[in-house]
Amino acid sequence: MALEPFKDSKALSMGVELELQLVNTTDFDLMPSAGDLLHLLERNKFPGDVKPEMTESMIEIATDVHTRYDQLLAQLRCMRDALVTAGDRLNVALCGGGTHPFQRWYDRRIFDKPRYRELSGLYGYLAKQFTVFGQHVHIGCASADEGLYLLHALNRYLPHFIALSASSPFFQGIDTLFDSARLNSVFAFPLSGRAPFLLKWTDFSEGYFAKMEKTGVVKSMKDFYWDIRPKPEYGTIELRVCDTPLTVERAAALAVYLQALCRMLLEHKEAPPAEDDYLVYNYNRFQACRFGLDGVIVHPKDNVSLSLREDILSTLRRIEPHAAALDSQAGLDDLQREVSHSGNHASYLRGQFHEAGSVNGMVNAAVNVFRQGVPT
Amino acid sequence: MPENILHLLADIAWPAAIAIAWIAGEAGYRWLSLPRISSYGIAGFVMAVSQGGFLADPSGGPVVLLANYAFALILFELGYRINLRWLRKNPWLGVTSVVEATGTFVAVFLLGRLFEVPVVASLLLAALAMSTSPAAVLRVANELRSSGQVTERVLHLSAFNCVFAVVVFKAVVGYWLLANDGSILHVLWNSLVVVAVSAGIGALFGVAVPGLLRTIGRVDQNATIAFAAAILLMTALTGSLKFSPLLAALVFGLVARHQRMILSQAQRNFGTLGNLLTVLLFVFVTTTIGWKQAQTGIYLALSVVGLRLVVKVLVSTAFARLGGITWRKGALTGLAMAPMSVFVVLLLEQSRHLNLGALDQVAGVAAIVLLLEVIGPLATQRALIWAGETHRTGEH
Repeated sequence: MALEPFKDSKALSMGVELELQLVNTTDFDLMPSAGDLLHLLERNKFPGDVKPEMTESMIEIATDVHTRYDQLLAQLRCMRDALVTAGDRLNVALCGGGTHPFQRWYDRRIFDKPRYRELSGLYGYLAKQFTVFGQHVHIGCASADEGLYLLHALNRYLPHFIALSASSPFFQGIDTLFDSARLNSVFAFPLSGRAPFLLKWTDFSEGYFAKMEKTGVVKSMKDFYWDIRPKPEYGTIELRVCDTPLTVERAAALAVYLQALCRMLLEHKEAPPAEDDYLVYNYNRFQACRFGLDGVIVHPKDNVSLSLREDILSTLRRIEPHAAALDSQAGLDDLQREVSHSGNHASYLRGQFHEAGSVNGMVNAAVNVFRQGVPT
Repeated sequence: MPENILHLLADIAWPAAIAIAWIAGEAGYRWLSLPRISSYGIAGFVMAVSQGGFLADPSGGPVVLLANYAFALILFELGYRINLRWLRKNPWLGVTSVVEATGTFVAVFLLGRLFEVPVVASLLLAALAMSTSPAAVLRVANELRSSGQVTERVLHLSAFNCVFAVVVFKAVVGYWLLANDGSILHVLWNSLVVVAVSAGIGALFGVAVPGLLRTIGRVDQNATIAFAAAILLMTALTGSLKFSPLLAALVFGLVARHQRMILSQAQRNFGTLGNLLTVLLFVFVTTTIGWKQAQTGIYLALSVVGLRLVVKVLVSTAFARLGGITWRKGALTGLAMAPMSVFVVLLLEQSRHLNLGALDQVAGVAAIVLLLEVIGPLATQRALIWAGETHRTGEH
């Protein structure tokens, strides 16, 4: 089956998907409750889209298509409140965070749906270890070629999103010393990583994809776990490296950062992306996962080392006019505060761990932050 | 020489019984998928002296303290899992609890009268029938690593109806004492004071132990032993003062939880200690029953067991949608509430010093205990499996 045509969509429109954790209120371990929660949500009109994910302790929510920050944020907050209310009725707590800090993967229950059972059969323990929680941001593209251009032009900014969203310092009960341990789980999959360097949609769909399909390794775009992938049926590119932040407010800020960045890139004032940009790609990505905002990355064009923190701050300044045009400066201000003062959610979680003295107490803090919207 | 051997046999009777029951539990679990605790109960019944076995009726002996301790550990864990905030967020849960307990009480009382059981005895029987034994429910849920709405609700409802049962039972005992010896002090002491002081002791432990742990630091490592030791002390204390160790343990867990000190996963079941004591607990319960005793009240017992289950299933189903779950999960919650044996036996054991002649008239109690010791856990197990809340093994 050939890849479907890339549906044109409104340029710079955006949509957010969040994978959320369902935990119990006693020891804050993951709690397989997706079915119960979905049943209750179906009975009242949910202000957005909600669906089960691979394991029963996870649900995924998705917003409508937005162009404005305030509307995106308003919908995310509505969805958050509806989820929290439903969770309260069932004694189920919800939280963000890229990993559950102490769940054991062999305890997970796979959601009863043929595709998930099939994946579970194929990937074995990887599927359960894949109980990690990410934020996906879709950006609408006026054409397929524009989408591929953006996908590759973003390569140098990808570490920004990893560091800004990082919220998975703990995994299987220990501090991994990574800010985003979640991405290490994603990299274990054979079809993860980056998309091939192709800038023409025909080359991508009739060349690369058709050949891959012939090998029998993939059936659809869903089988690729790339950091950014085109989504032809929506006419978007989808950024997939973000951990689910602890708050929906941060999720909205990350989305408008991407939106404003894309607007700047579409001016074509920066040097065009090239295959050689990817020489430093994995290294930079590692730096962001491991050290978060303290990472040091290498600029792909001139090979200069940059502090990730400085690079984000200067990028925030450069995109200010675009944020003004998109009316999203408030979201970027949130990120600016994060980078220069408060630190990312991974450091917040580490602080909570030390304060509470246990990983359970840390999840309790994450539950409260998700509910209230601001880390205290 | 034979005397020495007899002594030796008497000395090893209980350890041997525990070993045998454990083997029976594993065998029943593997080949018949029986909940382990059902097999422990059957083994205990067969080994009891009244059935020609070698286990003397342990009532009043040191085994009772251990059984009480085993149950107290379970009740503490249950209390710790109870989220009182949930009642505020979902009032229908509270309504379900009150209606199912009251409904059971009224229905069983009327049934008792129909069987021409005297009024006071019927009241006591009805009070006991309200309860769902937390021991069976929690053990089965942990054995299946079950979690979901049926599991959560059955644990909460079980904790609540046990509290109702203790309070009503003590009230009826008070009424009975009043009718018999008329000393108002004696009456108050055995009802109000016992309930209040037991809960008070539990609350005191619930504040003191977490406070102590916080002072020591390293909460996650010390907690299991500290709580186990505290519960042992509390069981001995409340037991010898003739208060209710059951209520105290439940309140202890409840208060400790709301101190917001979070236990880690490793402490579920109190580990190996809890597992071992559970064998003893379930063997103990059925050794108190003789076959003859059970036989005489069998019709009443069957009626009570059936009626109680019907009421619980009906009420829990009726409020299911209002409470936010499906009809099906509501019905399964009711089914999972079947067990009651351990709770009843220990409550009666603790009331032994009162010489409750009234209850001896209810021949059916022994049969109820025996029936539900085996069927109760099985009902809970099936309900949780049918609700799809258990951990399916064998998947990759």
